[in-house]
Amino acid sequence: MSNAAATAAAEPLIHPSAKAGADTKAPVRIAVKGLNFYYGQFHGLKNIDLNFHDRQVTALIGPSGCGKSTLLRTFNRIYSLYPEQRAEGQILLDGVNILDPKVDLNDLRARVGMVFQKPTPFPMSIYDNVAFGIRLYEKLPKAELDERVESSLRKAALWDEVKDKLKQSGMGLSGGQQQRLCIARTVAQRPEVILFDEPTSALDPISTGRIEELIEQLRDEFTIAIVTHNMQQAARISQFTAFMYLGELVEFSQTERMFMNPTQQRTQDYITGRFG
Amino acid sequence: MPGHIVTSYDTDLENLRRSISEMGGVAEKMTAEATDALVRRDDGLAQTVILADKRLDALQRDIEERSVLLIARRQPLAIDLRETISAIRVSGDLERIGDLAKNVAKRVVAISDQAPAQKIVLGVRHMSDLAEGQLKDVLDAYASRDVQAAHDVWERDGEIDALYNSLFRELLTYMMEDPRNISFCTHLLFCAKNVERIGDHTTNIAETIHYLATGETLAGDRPKNDASNYATVDGGQAS
Repeated sequence: MSNAAATAAAEPLIHPSAKAGADTKAPVRIAVKGLNFYYGQFHGLKNIDLNFHDRQVTALIGPSGCGKSTLLRTFNRIYSLYPEQRAEGQILLDGVNILDPKVDLNDLRARVGMVFQKPTPFPMSIYDNVAFGIRLYEKLPKAELDERVESSLRKAALWDEVKDKLKQSGMGLSGGQQQRLCIARTVAQRPEVILFDEPTSALDPISTGRIEELIEQLRDEFTIAIVTHNMQQAARISQFTAFMYLGELVEFSQTERMFMNPTQQRTQDYITGRFG
Repeated sequence: MPGHIVTSYDTDLENLRRSISEMGGVAEKMTAEATDALVRRDDGLAQTVILADKRLDALQRDIEERSVLLIARRQPLAIDLRETISAIRVSGDLERIGDLAKNVAKRVVAISDQAPAQKIVLGVRHMSDLAEGQLKDVLDAYASRDVQAAHDVWERDGEIDALYNSLFRELLTYMMEDPRNISFCTHLLFCAKNVERIGDHTTNIAETIHYLATGETLAGDRPKNDASNYATVDGGQAS
């Protein structure tokens, strides 16, 4: 066998550009342990154990009311705005339990950013929308702030479209651009984790494609959790998928496995559209 | 398994299954009749087989089209995706089986004025009986999603290969004995090879059933007893 042939034989069959595969050895960024969540008397999450891996996209799927958004909302404790909602158990972010009352919420929310279903630009200029989050936590000189705003808009794949109108209102952008502006605002705070709560359900297919492409790029830097009702979207952009039903985690595995050959009947019924 | 929320989805999949089963029926009949025509030297029956292949081709195109449409329309996942992909694969194998049976039938017409040794013809018949049995079993396994039955078919293919080997050696001997035998022996050899290939496509279907039911590809090498690739004329001994 010639040298070239020997090299060819040793190379993996999977093309290196196919980076969609799950990295099961990636360190755990968020470890959810025995998590229970209550809306007053209602038991919204039941004993959830789940790991989110570093720089991997984890999709949370399940029918409405299954608890997937509730779970997402525990990661930055956004629920604590409502006094009757409470979480019990542990959510370890880099080993530290964020449910601990001593955790500083502003600090937590800078580390765990969130993007919502409906784009939520503030009624201010595009520039100020992005700078807003930075100014909350850091006092940067103008030049440095400019730089951070630009790099955030670039990371959100919006820079080329808005670089000539940074002083115009963020409200004047299209729906898809507004969503990317919100992503830029989140990215600007240099979080470790980004939570997406159905980020494309209000967008047209082209804007949806742009956001999906963006999420794939953001994965190089951030750990990402996404709630989506679009099964194909979960299959396309995530490496891990968790299926939840009635407040319980039914199945968690690598996305490929989940959508080709799930182990649980309830998962199979849901993803194939057989739920009664 | 409960039905889909969208009932027309169930209908689509059910129709695919039905078409596969129709294809299976046609392919089985063609395989049996092609060999009957060979044994009985029945040109008319051979023509019937040749004509039947058109129906099989049409069915295959139809299944392929509907599967592609189903993927585009419904973006099937998990078992539904495997079912759709399996329909495409199995229809492809059945279509090839039809082609091979048709080819046997054509050779029946070609050698109709010659008198090949009936002993060898019966050897082909024996092979064909095995292949038909295998095909029937695999189609039953497909209909009932029976992985074990599919696996049994997969393992039995070695028998057809072994028979083909001995036929191959026998035909070589005939040809060496008398060059006038070469013409019909060559045709018979191709007939035997076609039947052997029908067995191979049958095992492909068995592999597809395994994938369909388990989501895994069937690992390991299938028992292969076709050694004719290595046989030479001097003595015709396959090594």
